[in-house]
Amino acid sequence: MPAAVRGAGARLSRLGATLPFLAPAQLLVLTVIVLPALHIIWLSLSTSTFGKAPVFVGLANYIHVFGDTYFWRALANTIIIVLVVVHVELLLGLGMALLFASGLPARRLLLAAVLAPYAVSEVSAAVIWRFLFDPDAGPVTMALHALGLPGFEWSVDPAHGLAIVALLSIWLHLPFTFLIIYAARLAVPEELYEAARIDGASKLQSFRRVTLPLLMPAILLAALFRYIFVFRLFSEVWLMTQGGPARSTDVVAVYLYLEAFRFNAFGTAAATGWIMVMISMILGAGYLWGLRREMRAHAA
Amino acid sequence: MIKGLSRRQTLRGALGVAAVLAATPHRGFAASKTLNILAHRVHQNSLTTGPAGDLTKAWRDANDANCEWATFDTNPLQDRLFREASLDRTDFGVGFLVNSRATTAAASLLHPLDAYQSSAPIEDFADIAPGLVSAMRFDGKLVSVPFRHATIGLFYNEALLEEQGIKAPPKSLEELVDQAKKLTFRSSAGTPVTGMVLASDLTVFPVTFARAFGGDFIGPDLKLVPDPAALEKALATLADLFKSGTLPRTYATTSNDDQVTWLQQGRAAFTVLPFARFAQLNRQDQSKYPGKIKAIEFPASQSLQGRMSSVVEFWAMSIPANARDKDLAWNFIRAMSSKAVTTGAARNGNGPVRVSTYSDPGFAADQPLAAVEARALAGARVPLPAFPEAARAQTIFNEEVQLTVLGRKTPKEGVAAIIERVKPLLAS
Repeated sequence: MPAAVRGAGARLSRLGATLPFLAPAQLLVLTVIVLPALHIIWLSLSTSTFGKAPVFVGLANYIHVFGDTYFWRALANTIIIVLVVVHVELLLGLGMALLFASGLPARRLLLAAVLAPYAVSEVSAAVIWRFLFDPDAGPVTMALHALGLPGFEWSVDPAHGLAIVALLSIWLHLPFTFLIIYAARLAVPEELYEAARIDGASKLQSFRRVTLPLLMPAILLAALFRYIFVFRLFSEVWLMTQGGPARSTDVVAVYLYLEAFRFNAFGTAAATGWIMVMISMILGAGYLWGLRREMRAHAA
Repeated sequence: MIKGLSRRQTLRGALGVAAVLAATPHRGFAASKTLNILAHRVHQNSLTTGPAGDLTKAWRDANDANCEWATFDTNPLQDRLFREASLDRTDFGVGFLVNSRATTAAASLLHPLDAYQSSAPIEDFADIAPGLVSAMRFDGKLVSVPFRHATIGLFYNEALLEEQGIKAPPKSLEELVDQAKKLTFRSSAGTPVTGMVLASDLTVFPVTFARAFGGDFIGPDLKLVPDPAALEKALATLADLFKSGTLPRTYATTSNDDQVTWLQQGRAAFTVLPFARFAQLNRQDQSKYPGKIKAIEFPASQSLQGRMSSVVEFWAMSIPANARDKDLAWNFIRAMSSKAVTTGAARNGNGPVRVSTYSDPGFAADQPLAAVEARALAGARVPLPAFPEAARAQTIFNEEVQLTVLGRKTPKEGVAAIIERVKPLLAS
């Protein structure tokens, strides 16, 4: 028997032996991700609402969404929030990780305080923030007025509305970014800093030549996760402003929610969902491409 | 000693316990049937808690059935009802339907009730407000039985009015605006008071102001903004209230629940809510002003010739066409629509849909607002008729109203935008 045929037979036999172990996971992925995703694709190509049979309309829903000014406004708001939230979180997370790594008194207590917002539910957080930032009688508003500063008009001014949503999101999710970067910083060997010191590197040079390059994979990972999570942002907006005033703080997830659950236009909602998936994939593609290139470089 | 128990002893013990349980007379730890109900919390509360007690108990005992309530806010509730009714089968027997979502398409998902009404009729069905019943008929078929109406009235905090030397609530819209401005002050308790609080995500409030001037959003004949000048005056009034600080700065993000809280805490002097909220607003355990929060019919403008139509919304009980046990569901609807239960639910804070409830001497004596509410209900109309794109139309209307009230559009621009943007939705 030729060696090639023998090899193929062995591979087939190995596949037969491993398939039963892999099948449950594959089945789970198929039923909870692939089939619903296919159903949503089909929905996005038809008009559909309660009490009416779906009618195939081709790409009309996608054309409708791309022609809707509400969608573009929601997308613009989403992009602004993503850029602000992710980059501010990365800067703060990096700064805090370096501060903690440099040795702080009462480190454990401070660590607990920094991680605490991650344990607060989004609903509770929004209620607390609404109270604190109430434009008529909130303690923060009162304090600002006492200092002679203008109040935070988040329920009147769309820019302030977006700002408070971004601040709330940063407050809630900073611990996630911080933890990833802090863990990576702790993994950097002290010998490298010692070598840098012996070579006469300043603190800034140590940071640029040692810390930053070694933290970069963790920073990119945190950025990727947060890009995708913040792009799906819903609860902070819905609970704080409901997209108001006058739908000026809508984000894409709120647009989708309104189409699906208030207007029951499942076709446009499904099309919006797929557009969100595509954008998330584009956001993730750069990182995955870099990762693949790195893996190949290591393998070579 | 547990340690010394053998497997055989354990098995014998378990069998013994099972035998004793089987021999014990059936005490009914659980009812034999379950009726799953999709409702708003307010429906469950008015049928189960309050001065009249649990009104479902007699029905549950008589039918050996349990009621399992799944409660949601209005939009999620309607979504869930239609979603359940779109499946092959649903375990939910009864779902509450709000008038604005009762369209022909929605009705096609519900079981027609005429056959049940012929074979096992609801007591004195003609007593249920005919206008509400007719709104639940589609192609001549009854799909839902009215249960609760929410007729809008003007609530005020009598203590705050007295503090500012105001002897009586307003008799006209113009007087209301003056009083609300005067009531924007810091109270003797140190609380900053705004004259009026309104939720901005509900259509009923601007429509109420529009009707006070003889206008409307969409008339019963689906006529869009029948009187643009009246709607412009209404929006101008609201914008003036906001500009003067008489409406709070949080106007654009104020919810219906905020209205209740603000009035209970004395943070606002006036609000517009269904009369049925009276008991809640005056609750000893929730309100800082129990017994001091009163209500009147919403006052019309002095310029209005004739009577103003109050805004009413109502809920009705329906059976999904795919429900497993429709007989049990009808049995429940029938019982909950009886005269006695309607009166009991009204005492628990429900807006009664039976005309006779208001003439019940016991009820009228118990409910200080019975006469006012009956008078308002007599001329009341829904904020807008149901049509397929009603939810989208309401969202556009609310958005334009917000833009106008916040001063980003003039009333004329706001009304023009409403007409231009809602018109295509009516055509579809």
